[in-house]
Amino acid sequence: MISLTINGQTLEVPENTTVLKAAEQAGIVIPTLCNHKDLTPYGGCRLCSVDIQGLRLPATACTMLVAPGMVVRTESPALTRYRRTILELLLVGFYDAGYTHSNGTTGPALDTQFAYWVNYYGIDMKSAMTKEPFRRIDSDPNPFIWVDKNKCIMCTRCVRACAEVQGRFVWTQAYRGYDLRIVAGAATTMLQARCESCGACVAHCPTGALDNKMSVRLGPPSRVVTTTCSYCGVGCQLDLNLKDDAPGGRVLRVTSNAKAPINGDHLCVKGRYGYDFIQSPKRLKQPRVRKYLLDGTVRPHNRGPWVEVDWDTALDIAARGLRAARDQYGPGSIGLLTSSKCLNEENYLMNKLARQLLGTNNIDCCDHVHHASVVEGLDTALGLNGQSNSLDDVASEAKSMLIIGSNTSEQHPVFGVKIRQAVLRRGCKIVVAHPDFINMSEYAALRLVHRPDTEAALVNGLTRLILKNGWEDRAFIEKHTVGFEDFKRSVDEFTPERVAALTGVDEKTLQQAAEILAANRPMAVVWGVDLATHPAGGCNVMSLVNLQLLLGNFGAPGGGLISLRTQNNSQGACDMGGHPNFYPGYQSVESGAARKKFEAAWGKGLPAKPGLTATQMMAAAAEGKLRALFILGEDLLAGDSASPQVRRSLQNCDFVVAMEVFDSETSRNADVLLPGVTFAEKTGTFTNTERRIQMVHQAISPQGGSRPDWQIIVELARRIQRNGSNGEYSAWVYGDTSQIMAEAAALTPIYAGVSHERLERVNGLQWPVKNFSHPGTPILSAEYFTGGRGRFTPVEYHRAEAASSNS
Amino acid sequence: MKVIRSMVLVSVDQASLERGAEEVFHTFLDEIDEFGLSDQIAVATIRDVGFRDDIPLVIVYPDAAVYGPVKPEDVHTIVEEHLHKGNIVPHLLAMMHELAPEIAWMRSRKGALPVQKRIVLERAGIVDPESLEDYVLYDGFQALGKALTQLTPAEVIAEVEKSGLQGRGGAGFPTGRKWSFVASTPGNPKYVICNADESEPGTFKDRLILEGDPFSIVEAMTIAGYAIGAHEGYIYIRGEYPLAYRRIENALRQAEAHGLLGDHIFGTDYSFYIHPHAGAGAYICGEETALIESLEGKRGIPRARPPYPTTYGLFGKPTVVNNVETLANVPPILRNGAAWYRDVGLPKSTGTKVYTILGCVNFTGLIEVPMGITLREVIDIYGKGMKDGKKLKLVQTGGSSGTIVPASLQDTPMDFDSFRNAGVSLGSGALLVCGEDTCVVDLAKVILRFFRNECCGKCTPCRIGTLRLYEIMSQISEGKASLSDLEVMQKISEAMSEVSNCGLGQTASTALRDILKYFREEVEAHITDHVCPVGVCPIAGHSPELILVQQPLHAG
Repeated sequence: MISLTINGQTLEVPENTTVLKAAEQAGIVIPTLCNHKDLTPYGGCRLCSVDIQGLRLPATACTMLVAPGMVVRTESPALTRYRRTILELLLVGFYDAGYTHSNGTTGPALDTQFAYWVNYYGIDMKSAMTKEPFRRIDSDPNPFIWVDKNKCIMCTRCVRACAEVQGRFVWTQAYRGYDLRIVAGAATTMLQARCESCGACVAHCPTGALDNKMSVRLGPPSRVVTTTCSYCGVGCQLDLNLKDDAPGGRVLRVTSNAKAPINGDHLCVKGRYGYDFIQSPKRLKQPRVRKYLLDGTVRPHNRGPWVEVDWDTALDIAARGLRAARDQYGPGSIGLLTSSKCLNEENYLMNKLARQLLGTNNIDCCDHVHHASVVEGLDTALGLNGQSNSLDDVASEAKSMLIIGSNTSEQHPVFGVKIRQAVLRRGCKIVVAHPDFINMSEYAALRLVHRPDTEAALVNGLTRLILKNGWEDRAFIEKHTVGFEDFKRSVDEFTPERVAALTGVDEKTLQQAAEILAANRPMAVVWGVDLATHPAGGCNVMSLVNLQLLLGNFGAPGGGLISLRTQNNSQGACDMGGHPNFYPGYQSVESGAARKKFEAAWGKGLPAKPGLTATQMMAAAAEGKLRALFILGEDLLAGDSASPQVRRSLQNCDFVVAMEVFDSETSRNADVLLPGVTFAEKTGTFTNTERRIQMVHQAISPQGGSRPDWQIIVELARRIQRNGSNGEYSAWVYGDTSQIMAEAAALTPIYAGVSHERLERVNGLQWPVKNFSHPGTPILSAEYFTGGRGRFTPVEYHRAEAASSNS
Repeated sequence: MKVIRSMVLVSVDQASLERGAEEVFHTFLDEIDEFGLSDQIAVATIRDVGFRDDIPLVIVYPDAAVYGPVKPEDVHTIVEEHLHKGNIVPHLLAMMHELAPEIAWMRSRKGALPVQKRIVLERAGIVDPESLEDYVLYDGFQALGKALTQLTPAEVIAEVEKSGLQGRGGAGFPTGRKWSFVASTPGNPKYVICNADESEPGTFKDRLILEGDPFSIVEAMTIAGYAIGAHEGYIYIRGEYPLAYRRIENALRQAEAHGLLGDHIFGTDYSFYIHPHAGAGAYICGEETALIESLEGKRGIPRARPPYPTTYGLFGKPTVVNNVETLANVPPILRNGAAWYRDVGLPKSTGTKVYTILGCVNFTGLIEVPMGITLREVIDIYGKGMKDGKKLKLVQTGGSSGTIVPASLQDTPMDFDSFRNAGVSLGSGALLVCGEDTCVVDLAKVILRFFRNECCGKCTPCRIGTLRLYEIMSQISEGKASLSDLEVMQKISEAMSEVSNCGLGQTASTALRDILKYFREEVEAHITDHVCPVGVCPIAGHSPELILVQQPLHAG
C-alpha cells in the first residue's frame, strides 16, 4: 500500500493506482474528458492536470501513478486557468446544431460530459463554439451510428473502446496536428472497415459526436428503466430510455448501463439498436379467432378467415377448445409449447397449466433440441442442468479455451467480445473448432477445421491424445469420476489417422490442439447452437464432458463446460418446467417424491409418465393423435425445425391457440391468436446461460389491446379450472409476477432463495440459490455432480443420419 | 639533406594566370628568399582548382591553409605572418563555398577557423566515410576494443560519468547517469537507441557526423550497449537523410564483416547488433517516446511520462536514448580519458559543442568549439561578422523551439548552466543570427507555422494552440489583429507551456513569448499602427506570403 496526500487529505492506495483513481477514492473530483474507467488512460485532453510537489510542470492525474509520500494539489488558480483555456480551445473547432430542448430553446446538447465541464467552468457553449459546421454532419452511411465530426474533441475514447472493449479496431487516427481526425479503417466507411455496429464507440463518446442514428435528435428521456435484454443467452442489462409524451410512454433509445453485471457499458447491435420491434405498427393489438369458431361450424380446410374479437370472447373460445380436447380425447391429446423468450414466471404458469389443469406432461419449449443435448450430456453424465462456470470467470481466468460449434461473435456477441479481450489482453489461447472461418477464428491460436457433424470424432481424438501423453488429471479422475476404464478403451480406435480421415483435421494439428488445451489450464470448453442443436448433440456434449473430466477442469474459475444457451430465457424455460420430463428445477415427473410434492401443492393428481417432446408432438399431430396445441411465443416454422412435416402437423391439428406479438407463419396456422407483449411491457425474470436470474422491468404500457402473457395464461387457466382444489398453490390468483415467482421458488429447490425483492437488491442470482441468505452459485464444482462423481460415457461416432439421442 | 617544413602551392591554371598567378608565384620565391626560408619552404604549382572567383589560390601545407584570391601585394603578409611567424592570416583566406570539394575539405579541416576544437567532427571531411580502414587508421574502434577487453561495464559508465558529458540533443541530461540508471534497472532485454531524427530547423550537425563519420556512431552505440547490458541497438535516422542512412548501412555491414559488430565482437563474449530505421517526415519523432512508438510500428505520438524510457522504453524494456552528437563524444572520452575531456569547456559543461551558424552572417555552417564561448565570439570570429555590416538584432538559439537572445545578451557564455540562468536555452546548438532586416512578427509567424505543421495532435493545448497562435500571428502580420489578441496568445502560450504532453507543445511558443518580452513595441506597431517597421509583412504593401490557412476537408 502506498500513502499519499491529495489536497491535504492523506490516504492509502494499492500500488499501480493512478492519482485520478486515488482521488476518486478520497471523494475528490478531477475534471476529465479523455479518461474512461473501461479504457487504458490516454493523457490527451490534459484537463486532469494536477500539481505534484517536486515536479516542475503539472502532470495528468489519469496517467500518473502514485508514489510514496506524493503530495498532490488538484485545484489552483493556475490549474483553473489552464482548464478553462483547454475547454475554450476545444470549442474553437466545435459545432453542435443541437435540438430543441424541453424549455423550447434550440441549442447544443447539454447533457454530455463535455457540456458538463464547459458549463462548470462558466463558458457559454453556444457563443464560444464556431458559428458554422465545418465537416459534414451525419457523415457515415451505416444505419446505426451517427457520425458528426464537428463535435469531435479527439479524446480517442471511440478508438480505444473499439480496440479494447470490442476488439474490432474499426476507428483509428489519421494525419496529425490540427488535421488529426478519427477515421474508420483506412478512411473508409464504417461498414467497409468491418464495423459490427455494437455501439461501444457511441457509449464512450463524451460529446455526442458519435450518437445513435435512430434517436439522435430525440433529446433526453423523461425516465429510464433498467432491464434485461431479450435477444440471446448472455443476458446483458440495458437501459430503456423513455419519453412519456405518448400514452403509456414510448421508447426513445437503448443505452448501456455501466453497472450491468455482465456487460457493463457494452452491448451488441441487437441489444442496442434492435428495439424498434417493441412499438412497431405491425404489433398484434387485438385478439382474433377464426370465423368458424364464432359460427359454430366445422373447421374449413385452411381454417377460414380471422375475426377480431374482444378478450373475453377469445379467452372463452380458447379455454373451451382446450377443455374439449382434454375431455374428449384425453390429456395426452394436448400439447403445450412454452417459450424460451418469455419470462420464467410465464413458463412456470404454462407448466402448471399443462400439468395441473390439462393433466398432461406434453410440454416442451422450442429450444428442445438444444436442451436435449444438455440433458443427455450434462445431466446424464454429471447431474448438471446448466453450464458449470460463469461467463466472466471464463473470460478473465481461462488460460485456454476450446470453442466448438459456436459462432460466438454472432450468436453471443458480448461474450464473444469478452473472449476477444481475453485473447488480446491476457494472451489466452483459444482453439476454435468449426467447419467455417468464423469471426472467432481470427483470434484463434489454432483452428480445427473439421467436416460438419464430426465433432464427436474430433473430441474423441483429442481425448485419446491426452491419454497417450499422460496429460490427464489422475487425482481428479480418481476422486471425482466413474467409468474411466471403459471410456479409456472406447477412445482407442480414434487414432490420429482415423480422426484425420473422418474429420479432415490432420494429425499434426490435432496434436497441437491437444498440447495447447492440456498445457494451459484452467481450460474452458465453450459450445453453442451449432454443436448442440443437432441430432447427435447429446453425443457431442458427452464427448466434451469426457474431455473436461479427463483434464480435471472443474471447480476453478476459468474452467468447466460452457453450454451457451441460445435465447434470452432458454435456460429459464427449462428451469421452470418447460420440459416433458421435468417439473420446475429438473425434478423428474417419474420421481414419486417429486410428483407427490407437486400433487400436494397443486391439489391434483398428476401424470406419472414423461410427456411428448416438441418433435414427438409434431409427429403425433401429423398422425391425428394430437388434437390441440397451445403455443406461447414460438414460431415453429421459422426456427430449427422448419420443415414441411411441421407445417402439415400444424395444419392437421384440430385446435391451435397461439400467443404472439407479431403475425408469424405459426399464427397463420392458428385458430385463436392472443396478442401478448414484449419484454418492455411486463415485469418478471429471465435466466441467462450462466444460470443467472435477472429482473426484467416493465417500461411502457402494453401496446394497443395486447396483454402481458402471464395475465393471458391466468385468465385462460381460470376458465379451464372449474372448481378450486385444496392444494397450497392450487389457485390461479396472482396480483403480479412476484407472486408467481414466490410460488415457483417455494416448489423449486434450485430457486429456493429467489424472489423479486431480493433480485432488486442484489441485481441477479445464479442458481442453485439454496435459501434467502445463500448468495447463489457461480461455479458448479465436482461436488454438484450426481453422487459427487462425474460419469465418463463412451461415445461412438455416427454420421448425422444415425442419431443416437432420443429426441 | 634538405628538410622541407612547409610547401606553398600556387594555382597556375589558365584563369589564375590571367589574374596574375605567375607574378604571385615569383613574388613568393622572392619573399621566401628575403626571409631566408628557402631551405625550409618549397614553392610549387597546381592546376585545376575550383571556381574562378577566389583564384589565384595559394595553399600552404601542412597547415592546409587556403588563401585566395591572392594578389602580389598580399604575398609579403603571408610570408611574414604565416610562413615566418606561424600565424595564419584570416582575412586572406578563401571563402569556403567558392571551392571545389577536393580543396574544400582542406579548407574545412584547418586554417579556416581558429580555435575550433574538433572532437566529434575530427574525422568528418577527412576520412572516406565509407572506408572502415580509414576509420581504423584514424584511431577508430580503439575505444571499443579498450572497453571490451580492459574495462567492465561499470568502469565504462564511471568514465563517462566522470567526463561530465551531457546530452547534446537539447535536454542536457548527464549521459553517464542515464546509462547507470538503465544498467541497474531490472528488465530484459535492454536497448540502445541513437536518436538521429535531427529535425530541429537550422540544425544539421548530426548529419555531418552521420555522413562524414558513420563508424563513430557504430562504435559508440556498441560501447553504450556494453555498458548497460544491451545486445541490440536501433538507430533512427530521419527519412530526409538518405545519404546518412546509406552510409550507416554501409558502416554496419563492414563492421559486422570484420568482427567489430554482431557476434563475439573482438573475439569476446559480447555481441551487439544494430538495426537501422528510417523515419518518415515527422519532427515529433525526435521526441524520444514518440521515436520509440514509431520504432514499434505505431503512430509516432509521445507517450505519457512517467514512466521514462530508462524504465519503460522500447517494447516496454529499459532503454537508453542518446543523440548522435552525444554518442560521438563517447569513443574519444574512452580513448583519451575523462580527465582529457574535462579539460575542454567549463567545469559544469565539459567538452565541446557543435554549433550551426545560420542567418545574417558571412560564414554559415558548422563549428565545434569548447563549451563556454559567447554569441558575440561566434558571430564575430566564426561567423566572420554580420553580413553586409548589418546590425545584430537577435539570435534564436537552439532551433525553432529555442529562446530569443536579444543583442544585449550576446555576451552570455554558451553552456548549459549560464544559459539556463539567463533564461536562454542552448538546445541543439543551432544559432539563427538575425539582423535589422528581420521582422520579429514574420519570424514568429514562420516559427509558429512550423509547429502547427509538426504538432502530433494528441493533446489539446498543442493541437489547437499551435493553430490558433499561427492564425493570430498571421493576422498580426496582415495588420488585422487587435491588442486583445496578444492577451489571447499569452493565455494559450501559458497553457501550452504548462500542460502540454511533450516538449513540442511546451516549447512551441517560447520564441513568441521572448519576442513579446523583448520586442513588444515592434509587434504592437503591426497592430495599432498597421505598420511593419522593417517592411517585410504583408501590411507593408508587399505581395502577401503564402498563408496556409486550414481548409475544411470534405467527407469528415
